[in-house]
Amino acid sequence: MGVTCVSQMPVAEGKSVQQTVELLTRKLEMLGAEKQGTFCVDCETYHTAASTLGSQGQTGKLMYVMHNSEYPLSCFALFENGPCLIADTNFDVLMVKLKGFFQSAKASKIETRGTRYQYCDFLVKVGTVTMGPSARGISVEVEYGPCVVASDCWSLLLEFLQSFLGSHTPGAPTVFGNRHDAVYGPADTMVQYMELFNKIRKQQQVPVAGIR
Amino acid sequence: MSGVRAVRISIESACEKQVHEVGLDGTETYLPPLSMSQNLARLAQRIDFSQGSGSEEEEAAGTEGDAQDWPGAGSSADQDDEEGVVKFQPSLWPWDSVRNNLRSALTEMCVLYDVLSIVRDKKFMTLDPVSQDALPPKQNPQTLQLISKKKSLAGAAQILLKGAERLTKSVTENQENKLQRDFNSELLRLRQHWKLRKVGDKILGDLSYRSAGSLFPHHGTFEVIKNTDLDLDKKIPEDYCPLDVQIPSDLEGSAYIKVSIQKQAPDIGDLGTVNLFKRPLPKSKPGSPHWQTKLEAAQNVLLCKEIFAQLSREAVQIKSQIPHIVVKNQIISQPFPSLQLSISLCHSSNDKKSQKSATEKQCPEDHLYVLEHNLHLLIREFHKQTLSSIMMPHPASAPFGHKRMRLSGPQAFDKNEINSLQSSEGLLEKIIKQAKHIFLRSRAAATIDSLASRIEDPQIQAHWSNINDVYESSVKVLITSQGYEQICKSIQLQLNIGVEQIRVVHRDGRVITLSYQEQELQDFLLSQFVTDLKVAARLWFSFLVTNVKTFQKVMFYKITNGVIFVGHSKKFSGIKWKVETLFIKWSCLCLHLALVYYDFFQMFPKEVSRNFDLKCLQINYKYKEEITSKGVLFLKTIIRKCLFSTLKLSTL
Repeated sequence: MGVTCVSQMPVAEGKSVQQTVELLTRKLEMLGAEKQGTFCVDCETYHTAASTLGSQGQTGKLMYVMHNSEYPLSCFALFENGPCLIADTNFDVLMVKLKGFFQSAKASKIETRGTRYQYCDFLVKVGTVTMGPSARGISVEVEYGPCVVASDCWSLLLEFLQSFLGSHTPGAPTVFGNRHDAVYGPADTMVQYMELFNKIRKQQQVPVAGIR
Repeated sequence: MSGVRAVRISIESACEKQVHEVGLDGTETYLPPLSMSQNLARLAQRIDFSQGSGSEEEEAAGTEGDAQDWPGAGSSADQDDEEGVVKFQPSLWPWDSVRNNLRSALTEMCVLYDVLSIVRDKKFMTLDPVSQDALPPKQNPQTLQLISKKKSLAGAAQILLKGAERLTKSVTENQENKLQRDFNSELLRLRQHWKLRKVGDKILGDLSYRSAGSLFPHHGTFEVIKNTDLDLDKKIPEDYCPLDVQIPSDLEGSAYIKVSIQKQAPDIGDLGTVNLFKRPLPKSKPGSPHWQTKLEAAQNVLLCKEIFAQLSREAVQIKSQIPHIVVKNQIISQPFPSLQLSISLCHSSNDKKSQKSATEKQCPEDHLYVLEHNLHLLIREFHKQTLSSIMMPHPASAPFGHKRMRLSGPQAFDKNEINSLQSSEGLLEKIIKQAKHIFLRSRAAATIDSLASRIEDPQIQAHWSNINDVYESSVKVLITSQGYEQICKSIQLQLNIGVEQIRVVHRDGRVITLSYQEQELQDFLLSQFVTDLKVAARLWFSFLVTNVKTFQKVMFYKITNGVIFVGHSKKFSGIKWKVETLFIKWSCLCLHLALVYYDFFQMFPKEVSRNFDLKCLQINYKYKEEITSKGVLFLKTIIRKCLFSTLKLSTL
């Protein structure tokens, strides 16, 4: 588990999502990265059931249950600003049992699927974010394997991102902000994905101006 | 008593006179009381002389006193005597009986006195002792004690014997029971070794490894039956056992897994016809009952079947570059191109037919016992894994599987880590790897040995390490030259023989990887030989002193009377040299080198490697102008000949 940066690639002007993805992947292949299969990250939203809400009328908290194909035997559960739980895949079954307390928000399943590229120590994943049948955006994840401390390798990561993302290079992820010198873990990656998905969800429509 | 007046007490005798007669007018006539002598007479008559001595003495005293009074009272007693006569008729007067008795006593005493006086004289009468009984009076008490002791001891012995008899009876009964071997006691013995359970009225046992972690679907149940065909009239045979065990029919006989490596390519026709040879059954422990050996043999058959089933399953499922062939009871695979590894299950039943055929072919030479043993170990390892605490979930609600696999979810392991956890190698792969290693090792050893025997100079030494891994062995090879041991310490090679390749670590740090080809190792070692010679040759150049003694030490030169003789080994026979010349370092060195190189090239005419450095020879040749003697010319021609031959060979 190395330091990972998840960012969104805005869809190029006049192109569809697939075309942008294709552009990116071609760039990567020209760089010299080798394809190593596919990946998938998905997220389901649950909110606290109305029955458990107190008379105060506070809004229920949202809980996200996510899976990452990079960690095939794990399941992640996290709150917005709260803790992130890394559990066994039996957690999904547990959620069914907790139906009374957590209800899944309908049509909230969001996922990103794409290809996985290995370029020496870097692992690049370019995926299409889909919500239901429609593609909503592009996610780009870059992992630098050897390092586990964010502050040590952020500059290297940035440089690498610039090499193929060009101007769309993101800033430092917020997860790095708090604990620069702490060891980076898979939970931080999932937090980044969650933020990305939330951002994309808020975008409502795909800003496609070109041909469908 | 003081102050009290004495009271007068009058005493009266109570004896009143006896009434003799009462008159008609009431007057009583009393008898006159008896006088003293009358009283005495009355008492004297009462004396009984036949009583014992005590009363006799008293009476005698009484009669003596009477006898004194007698004459004095004789006169007054006369009247009384008359009265006495009237009253007591048997005697005349009261003293008559006394007198008679006394008289007879006197008579007898006189007689006794007379007899005793006569006997004392011993003239007319002697005392003759009366014959005694058998025992003399002295020993009597001791013998009596002895007899009494004997009797009492005999009584005690009787009791003890009775008790002992009872004990011996019970012991003999037990022994008889042992010989007979009760069914229940035998069953108890069986239960101490094997798991039994009662189903209905049958007793079944389990001889499979299921309780030890095996997943083989064979039931492995045997039945325990009572042996009732015992004829009580006949003598019970020595090995009679009231219990018999019936094992499943497919586990009868004995089995083993034969692992062998053959060099020839497999012939299709030969597949499936493995030489079974009936391995002699492992000797059972003396004293173990026959059912134990039977059950152990059946269990071994079951284990061999499981091993073979596992191997064949893997052979079919696992994809490898060269597919494994599974035919009947044999698995054939090719670890190396020209090598064939065959693993076969040899199961021989106990019928006479198979015994006959089995004794024909007996060729166990190529059977690798080590691998068979390792197969058994591996399957047991596999059994243990299924039962180990690493597999058993804690807490009980956790899923089955390896402990670390259970943690892989909560700890977000990625694919690489998960793969490293799962042992991907099966039984077959492991055995093939081991076989490869064994083969490679034996071949490397053979190569080194053959080189050592063929080449006399330089010498090669191999030190094999005792502690090796299943997949790796190491050997330290030293190449030295006689006389140059100190310098040639640099040629030390450490060969690490792995599964598919040999890694050579040179003393100076170079690491070279050789493949499994035999030729590569041989060529490499030969090149090392030459390096050794080069080192030796270079040293010669560094010698400034023409020290005969040091020179003599080297190789095969003898210096006698200023003449240099060159004696050579048998390989060079046919060409004997006698060199008469002054000792010249370079020429001898050149000769030495030339001879050695000639040796070398003679042996390996076709295996010359172009790596051989001929610079040494060239340098030697340069110095030839300094010498002028005839012998040296002779030398030169010879050297030239050698050089030409070496050069010729080098161009091949």
